Amino acid sequence: MNSEYIVEMRNITKSFPGIIANDDVTIQVRKGEVYALLGENGAGKSTLMSMLYGMYEPDRGEIYIRGEKVVFKSPSEAAEKNIGMVHQHFKLVDNYTIGENIVLGIEPMKKKFGIFPYVDMKEANEKIAKLSKDYGLEVNPTDLISDVNVSIKQRVEILKMLYREAEILIFDEPTAILTPQEIEYLLKIMEELKKGGKTIILITHKIEEIRKIADRCAILRRGRLIDILDVKSTSTQEMANLMVGRKVELTTDKQPPKFGKTVLEVEHLSVYDESKVEVVKDVSFKVRAGEVFAIAGVSGNGQVELADAITGLMKAGKGKIILNGKDITNEKIRQRTEDGIAYIPEDRQKYGVLLDFNLRDNLGLRKYYKPPFSQNGILKFSEFESYAVRLIDEYDIRCGQGGLTSLRSMSGGNQQKAIVGREIEEHSPLIIFVQPTRGLDLGAIENIHKEIIAERDKGTAVLLISLELDEVMNLADTIGVIYSGKMLKVADASTLDSQAVGRYMMGVTEA
Amino acid sequence: MSYINAMITSGLAFAIPLFIMAVGGIYSEKSGITNLAVEGFQGFGAFCGAVVAVFLGMNTGLSSSAIIYVAMLFSFIGGAIYAIIHALLCIKFRADQVISGVVINILGVALTTFLTTTINTALFGNASNKFTLGVSPRFSVPGISKIPIIGAVFTNIYPFEIIILIIAVYAWYLMYKTKFGMRLRACGENPQAVDAAGGDGAKTRFLAVMSSGGLSGIGGICFAYSLLSQFSPSIYLGYGYLAIAAMIFGNWNIIPTFFVCIFFGIARAGGYQLCLAMGLASIYSDLFLMIPYILTLLLLMFFSKRNHPPKAAGEVYDKGKR
Repeated sequence: MNSEYIVEMRNITKSFPGIIANDDVTIQVRKGEVYALLGENGAGKSTLMSMLYGMYEPDRGEIYIRGEKVVFKSPSEAAEKNIGMVHQHFKLVDNYTIGENIVLGIEPMKKKFGIFPYVDMKEANEKIAKLSKDYGLEVNPTDLISDVNVSIKQRVEILKMLYREAEILIFDEPTAILTPQEIEYLLKIMEELKKGGKTIILITHKIEEIRKIADRCAILRRGRLIDILDVKSTSTQEMANLMVGRKVELTTDKQPPKFGKTVLEVEHLSVYDESKVEVVKDVSFKVRAGEVFAIAGVSGNGQVELADAITGLMKAGKGKIILNGKDITNEKIRQRTEDGIAYIPEDRQKYGVLLDFNLRDNLGLRKYYKPPFSQNGILKFSEFESYAVRLIDEYDIRCGQGGLTSLRSMSGGNQQKAIVGREIEEHSPLIIFVQPTRGLDLGAIENIHKEIIAERDKGTAVLLISLELDEVMNLADTIGVIYSGKMLKVADASTLDSQAVGRYMMGVTEA
Repeated sequence: MSYINAMITSGLAFAIPLFIMAVGGIYSEKSGITNLAVEGFQGFGAFCGAVVAVFLGMNTGLSSSAIIYVAMLFSFIGGAIYAIIHALLCIKFRADQVISGVVINILGVALTTFLTTTINTALFGNASNKFTLGVSPRFSVPGISKIPIIGAVFTNIYPFEIIILIIAVYAWYLMYKTKFGMRLRACGENPQAVDAAGGDGAKTRFLAVMSSGGLSGIGGICFAYSLLSQFSPSIYLGYGYLAIAAMIFGNWNIIPTFFVCIFFGIARAGGYQLCLAMGLASIYSDLFLMIPYILTLLLLMFFSKRNHPPKAAGEVYDKGKR
């Protein structure tokens, strides 16, 4: 057996009802290298690694670990071969301590008075403290998971693998939820792990990370292996093109902005949540016609509540919201939309569309109560149909059965195109985009970004709220950074770089 | 004074079987399986115990006390076996846990009534729907039981009360100190975490639901040997639901749930004694027996907000879900 490779997956094929997730994929990973799997959503990266980790079994193909053929029936069998995985969604128990989470599944046991077995957390916590020191993973083993931030939760997941003496570490999109500073920290940890002789497999769709850390990179597209590249000798653009399967533009071309009059004015706005906690604190800003005003911030710092207060989904506690000179602070939601607010919400499936309605009806949601869509309270479906046909064509919405396609059967990218089309067609002076590209792949992101810039160039005021720093840097004319409900910084986009914005996102105000 | 003593003594006799049923509920729900089936579990468990008791009474020379202990053991086994249905439906077949619980309860009433009648017909030739069991003997602790008020706690104790408390202490230890308990509680919060860590979430939940059935069964047979002095369809009086209510006020923790059960027990017995003390006609006693349920409604209104049920309870767990 060729044991130059620590992991070999040969001719792996795996299908789920309706799709082939992996089609004859072969990868070979050397001991001690950082091996990246690059691909868009649904390319089959996670599925491939789930098989290495024992979550699924391949339909066809073989897996070799250190040259020895293995068949994993469960993650614990993979763990026996020293394979560990940090999942995209952490698998942690919130009301357990960090220590308890780490030992769960392989609890160290002792016996009290020689008869009553119990879980010995003291010994476990000491071992964890030592591991965390060795690899620079700072955690306090007795903290509750519910009290720590995502970056620490991720460290806990890494420690879980190290505690199990894992040699092959799989990271599934580890940076998706981290701030730029936390990403730096994580990449440093990965370096440290590599130095310690661990083999790392990194699943990602962010090319920048691969450039920084990976030695080699396998590109997957629609379940197939496209290419295996040496990272040092390949350009970013080349990788992006291979990943998407056509030429993509990584940054959106845009003309210098032409600002018009002020469209939206938020003055000293405070918003309170259900338990009367002030989640938006005394926020003021202005958005002009022809401007993309982007609000950057780590998730959960009041962005969503701010958007909800402007659109009317939440009540403004204090302060004023002024649209085109009219005070709309206490207006009803429909009045606000008629006054000129279009809204692309964060959770598109919950607030943006009716999943069980068809595309035609979803596209008509903004207009159904007005003529010509409705006459004397009776809906005119012929109008809905012709309107849908026009939007499907103009916004390139891919759908199997035209206006009668059920929303549920459409991809996330096409659902979003439908929402964006519907909202743009309102020709409102203000459009609010919240996380418009969440969960979309590179091709769809490119498309949405073009629409946003096109609206700005038409003279619409655009308020963009995003957790993706790249997106903010790419699109914004003006950047506001929100931290803990406060607008920490508002500045012209040209005066800020992503490092500076990242610092403000962490709440650091001095340079 | 004698009213207060009677209130305490009979309050405890009611509270403690209720408590073990609530512990059963906690075992299931802490593992993430919503359990409305306590009522059915306790009835079926009691039925199994009663059948064994009747059989032993006919064929052996065992003393009636010894028979009670054997009946308790078989109630545990019977309840645990019956709970397999709930476990299979909820874990293997991913059925809705609330519906499964309700079905278990309805099935329990019908099945045990039918089987009781059938067995009675076969053994005694009359189609009675009850097994007469009698009331368990009681004892008082010498000395302490003479102290005013506090003594009532040690007066006229059913032996099963002691056994239940021992089982409950062990159940607490198992849940909070051992590997099994640690995984069980983790399953109720995030079963993916247990599977990803190499523990078998489905197996842990299965065992938890079976334990739930067994513990509920013990509660059932103890009611049969005290309040009812028989096994009959009247065992489905809703005490299983009361145990669920106690579990909720106890915030799914064993120790607070114990005090809630004591409170329910005292309230119920207190209402009954109040009725006697006021010399009211016996029809009014039914009115006073409503007290625990009215308390349940009131407490639900005030306490539901502060509660933290196990996060994953009631969710169908799909291992493949990411």
